[in-house]
Amino acid sequence: MKSESIHSIEISSLSKTYKGRKGKAVEALSELSLTIQNGEICGFLGPNGAGKSTTIKILMGLITATSGTATLCGLPVTDPGARKRVGYLPENPSLFDYLTAREYLALCGRAFAMDGESILRESQRVLELLDLREAADRPVRGYSKGMVQRLGLARTLLHDPDVFILDEPMSGLDPVGRALVKDILKDLKSRGKTVFFSTHITADVEVVCDRVAVIVGGRLRSVDVVDELLESGIEGYDIQVKNCAPALYAGLTSSPKASDITEIYVPRDRFNEFLAHLGKNGGDIHLIEPKRKDLEAFFLDILGKG
Amino acid sequence: MRLFLALTSVTLRGILRDRMLRAILGTVLLLILLVPVFSMFSMRQVQELAITITLSAISFFLLVMSLLLGSSSVWRDIERRYTSSILTLPVSRRAYILGKFSGIAIFIVCCGLFLFLVSVPVIMFAASSYPSDVPVHWLNIALAIGADILKYLLVAALALLFSTISTSFFLPFFATIAVYLAGSASQEVFEYVSGQFGTELQPASVAVIKGVYYILPNFSAFNLKVPAIYGLSHSPGGLALTTLYGVIYVVILLVLAIKIFSRRQLP
Amino acid sequence: MKSKVIILGLIFCYVLVVVPFSSYLKNRPVMLKLGYVPAGKVLRAIVGDQRYLTAEIYIVRVLFYFGELFGINRERVAVTPEYFNMYRTLENAVLLDPYNTDAYYFSQAAFTWELGRVREVNSMLKHGMKYRTWDYQLPFFVGFNSAFFLNDYQAAAEYMKRAAELSGNPLFTNLAARYFYEAGKTDFGIAFLETMAKSAHDRKLKRIYEVRIEALRAERFLAGAVDRFEKERGRMPESLRELVTSNLIEKIPLDPYGGRFYLDRSGKVRSTSKFAFRE
Ligand SMILES: Nc1ncnc2c1ncn2[C@@H]1O[C@H](COP(=O)(O)OP(=O)(O)OP(=O)(O)O)[C@@H](O)[C@H]1O
Ligand SMILES: [Mg+2]
Repeated sequence: MKSESIHSIEISSLSKTYKGRKGKAVEALSELSLTIQNGEICGFLGPNGAGKSTTIKILMGLITATSGTATLCGLPVTDPGARKRVGYLPENPSLFDYLTAREYLALCGRAFAMDGESILRESQRVLELLDLREAADRPVRGYSKGMVQRLGLARTLLHDPDVFILDEPMSGLDPVGRALVKDILKDLKSRGKTVFFSTHITADVEVVCDRVAVIVGGRLRSVDVVDELLESGIEGYDIQVKNCAPALYAGLTSSPKASDITEIYVPRDRFNEFLAHLGKNGGDIHLIEPKRKDLEAFFLDILGKG
Repeated sequence: MRLFLALTSVTLRGILRDRMLRAILGTVLLLILLVPVFSMFSMRQVQELAITITLSAISFFLLVMSLLLGSSSVWRDIERRYTSSILTLPVSRRAYILGKFSGIAIFIVCCGLFLFLVSVPVIMFAASSYPSDVPVHWLNIALAIGADILKYLLVAALALLFSTISTSFFLPFFATIAVYLAGSASQEVFEYVSGQFGTELQPASVAVIKGVYYILPNFSAFNLKVPAIYGLSHSPGGLALTTLYGVIYVVILLVLAIKIFSRRQLP
Repeated sequence: MKSKVIILGLIFCYVLVVVPFSSYLKNRPVMLKLGYVPAGKVLRAIVGDQRYLTAEIYIVRVLFYFGELFGINRERVAVTPEYFNMYRTLENAVLLDPYNTDAYYFSQAAFTWELGRVREVNSMLKHGMKYRTWDYQLPFFVGFNSAFFLNDYQAAAEYMKRAAELSGNPLFTNLAARYFYEAGKTDFGIAFLETMAKSAHDRKLKRIYEVRIEALRAERFLAGAVDRFEKERGRMPESLRELVTSNLIEKIPLDPYGGRFYLDRSGKVRSTSKFAFRE
């Protein structure tokens, strides 16, 4: 039941104040508003203690907001029914120790109202996908951290939901696992699923996200389309040219690459002018590569401004 | 309904896979099997003694189980963050509490039935070695165990309620024990202050004692051991009232537990 | 909102049930209230170190129950006390803790007249004498019981002597002597009870003695009147009423145990209550 007018996740002026010991209150979130469109992959970036997990826990109904509202698939997060089409991965998942992976997935399947046959079939599929088949019938007690993380991911995929909410999906995974998760995210994107995930790793956001929301100290700092961000971050171009007169790139950094190829760095504001010169005076372009500030630098910028 | 069954079965599996609980069950089984030996102490009342010890052993076991299971339920799931892996499914907190309780309840009921079945041949053996002039009243024995089961369901519900408030084992465990002791003695105290003694107390303190009496769960009502041992007859109305009372009390405790747990912030 | 309705409904149901429930519990047979006490020796093995506590719990339970009984009887509500069950409970309690005074004093006060279990009470008291070697009350009780109930004057004298030695008080031998040479049985009983009532600390025990004294005094009063009647008229009165109609006494005193005094065939004054709380 997907309706275009309903946003997958809608957060409006959400605040959360934890009551600490001795009356000390911690304001973990203040006036956070964010809307995640259907079919979008949105990264949630922020330093430690920024309030990412707090936001996600409110979305999953684990804690209640001090003020503000949030909806999942159009239903308020206080309604358990809102979680029907949602796959959730907690931060450092802790699953029932005494159950095996298969038993745990069966429990989740029942909660998602799947029938017995599809529970068996889908469990097998996700266990294979996350490379857990061998451990599937051992109790979770004996799993390594990464294996537990994989099982947590398997659970989110089990009922093929429309919305994924993942709290640090890459944490605790080996390089193969990270690559796997990235592939899974890309696959979800291609199938039009909505994903909202928190992370510390900017490179992952660059590769898979449509948009990125940055939160610092419980306040939303920016929400940007990743591609635009990256485009706006282009500072210049590395251009490799063949048979080009040295006079053309006087004043620019250059380095010889091969006998007849030279690499020249052209700042963004001189790019058009340089190309025009090159066209007039002759010379072949071998390769153009944009040089940009990466997301990490953006992120650090935002933090620096704060 | 399927979800409720699934939650129940998860709780049950957790109980059955706990080694300590299995060890306690084994000890009680051994104790019951040794009842004929114990009963020889009493040359006059072998059968009565066999029934007493068996019923007491069952009752004690159920008490320990309901206390341990109830007091280590909700807060521990929260601390181990099992709640965050189950309550983020489309599972309401009410379903979770009910599933938890029904898992514990099914375990207690099954243990009670199982121990009753074990005790039948044991009592028969003891009774046949030194026959008593009172015949063995199986119905009364079954009723006594049934009442015990209901009583310990009440204890479990109480411990579960306390464990929804708590962040550690101590509060639910000791609070439940305290209420259990108070609730077992309240009837006697109530009758005492209702009598002559009450006229010598301040009216205010009598009123407080009576008020507490009506609020505390009355555990002494569920003690049907004497009719089981001596074959006294029961009043059906009284049994019905006792059952009704137990059920209503359990329901109230569960509703409170759900209300409190629904407000709780989970990690 | 919905949950408030549910909770209110539940509380309503609770109140509906708890009222008849509590009155049902209050009117349960006593045996159910006192519960079954396993034989003392076995219990001792089971409760281990906690036997003193267990004994105390049993004794307090009996005292509680008895106190409540007295309350009921003051309002003349007929109930049959389960003396035997109380006695059995205390018997087991002293096996657990032979030093507990309450059990002995209470048994002496409550089970000799009412229950007629004099021999058992005596053997319980003798059991206690083995432990409470300094306590003069126990031999005093045994001596009294032997004389008053069992007519065993030799044993009585022996125990009274022991009580006198332990207490350093010749009262006990005097008391026995008085019974032998001077007074009738009823007077002896009253003298004993008066001693007991004076020394009793527990209000319930005191009350037991006082009621008994009241009954014995009434009995003595009536017996005296019957004697005078016989001397004056040379025949026995037809009934106690005749004592009133012939202006020997003003009225027939009440039996504090709730019975009615009458004259039996042999001319002895008796009561329908047999001086015990009965139905
Ligand atoms: N239960 C709690 N009681 C009190 N304060 C809390 C509680 N949970 C979180 N906080 C505080 O709220 C703030 C936000 O925490 P949160 O877990 O949301 O951060 P995060 O962005 O997920 O950090 P990380 O990247 O380290 O996971 C922190 O300052 C933290 O100390
Ligand atoms: Mg976090």
